[in-house]
Amino acid sequence: MKNKLEAKDLINVGIYTAIYFVLCMGVAMLGYIPVFIPMLTALCPLIGGIPFMLMLTKTKKPGMVFLMAILCGVLMGIMGMGIWAIPSSIIFGLLAERILKAGHYKSLKYDILAHGVFSMWLIGNFIPMFINRQQYYNALIPGYGEEYANALMSYIPTWSLFFLLVSCFVFGILGGFIGKKLLKKHFVKAGIA
Amino acid sequence: MKKIMLQGIENRNGINLDPRTKLLLIFTITTVVIGGGNNGYMTIVKPVLCFIPFILLIATHNFKGGLFYLGVYTCAYMAEIFIVPNTMGLFKFLILAISGMLSRFMPGIMMGYFLISTTTVSEFVAAMERMHLPMAFIIPMSVIFRFFPTIGEEYFAINDAMKMRGIRLGGGKPSAIMEYRLVPLITSTVKIGEELSAAALTRGLGKPIRRTNICKIGFSGMDFIFIFLCLIGWIIFIASKIGY
Repeated sequence: MKNKLEAKDLINVGIYTAIYFVLCMGVAMLGYIPVFIPMLTALCPLIGGIPFMLMLTKTKKPGMVFLMAILCGVLMGIMGMGIWAIPSSIIFGLLAERILKAGHYKSLKYDILAHGVFSMWLIGNFIPMFINRQQYYNALIPGYGEEYANALMSYIPTWSLFFLLVSCFVFGILGGFIGKKLLKKHFVKAGIA
Repeated sequence: MKKIMLQGIENRNGINLDPRTKLLLIFTITTVVIGGGNNGYMTIVKPVLCFIPFILLIATHNFKGGLFYLGVYTCAYMAEIFIVPNTMGLFKFLILAISGMLSRFMPGIMMGYFLISTTTVSEFVAAMERMHLPMAFIIPMSVIFRFFPTIGEEYFAINDAMKMRGIRLGGGKPSAIMEYRLVPLITSTVKIGEELSAAALTRGLGKPIRRTNICKIGFSGMDFIFIFLCLIGWIIFIASKIGY
């Protein structure tokens, strides 16, 4: 029964998801300037690495990271970013969980790799821009004007979906390293890691 | 005002909605207002939905919050309609970014504020139990809702502390923002979280028996009015999406 999630684990998931989500949202507010929208796939994973790596120090049981991913997806849905974040968070949450399992929830290398994969859930927020491109463009014009819509579309061309995904992964790994470094420098000293 | 968040029952006055109705309202307002277009019936639906948080805040005697929201939203909406089409270049982009952000995100944020400021954690848990969600989902979700205001409070407290030491943002070094802001923020929230978790465990959270709850959860006439409004919003939203 040691592998079953207990109330304490679930509360931990809640705490770290809240921190992760607030940090990502804070960064994502930059996205109102069109240039920053593709850059969010780099900035969010970089910042998100800190709470994520900290959470992994408390994660020794399967399911916690998967739960965190689902919660992020659902919160995104409640916040009106569309429902695509839910399937993408389920897929990448499960993959991250598999990687952690391969490292027996202890290996540093696998932890960082898991954050890279986990960060790819962000792609769910970009899918509407690709799947109904014309409709998305048309919906932008009345509210934002043609200039803004054209600018946004030129920053995110059709072929860029793959690169956004790769960017999530690469910067997720970098974010993992940053998280690990801060963990060593501060959080171990503060007694919370 | 901050102290009452998710805690007080005694400050309850005015209308009392079911937490599930509040969640539906948030979901509807954010999705329709952020994702909806600006043509046809949507020009009526959007302002009506945006008006709901104002009514609710006033009805729960939160006049300050309600009037603040009404003022900001009206300004942003007017700016979007009247100023944006008549300006050019960089200035237009700037106005567009600010007014667009406010008019799109303010309604959802105020609705979230309403949910958090008028719902206790117990009510929230009771409502989610009624929805037959698994415990593994309910516990983290209620912790998250409890934590949003806490993170904000801690952020401002750290801000004050840093100001006292004469450090602004990163103290001149952009890379130090993380160490001056994020590290203290995460450290203090995690510490609070540990205390919260100890308190919750003492009250028997996560034990295999079914916990009782004294909160009265249920739909009343008021709830049905708002649910009906949401339904109309959704129907028009979907109709405009598929092209009617």
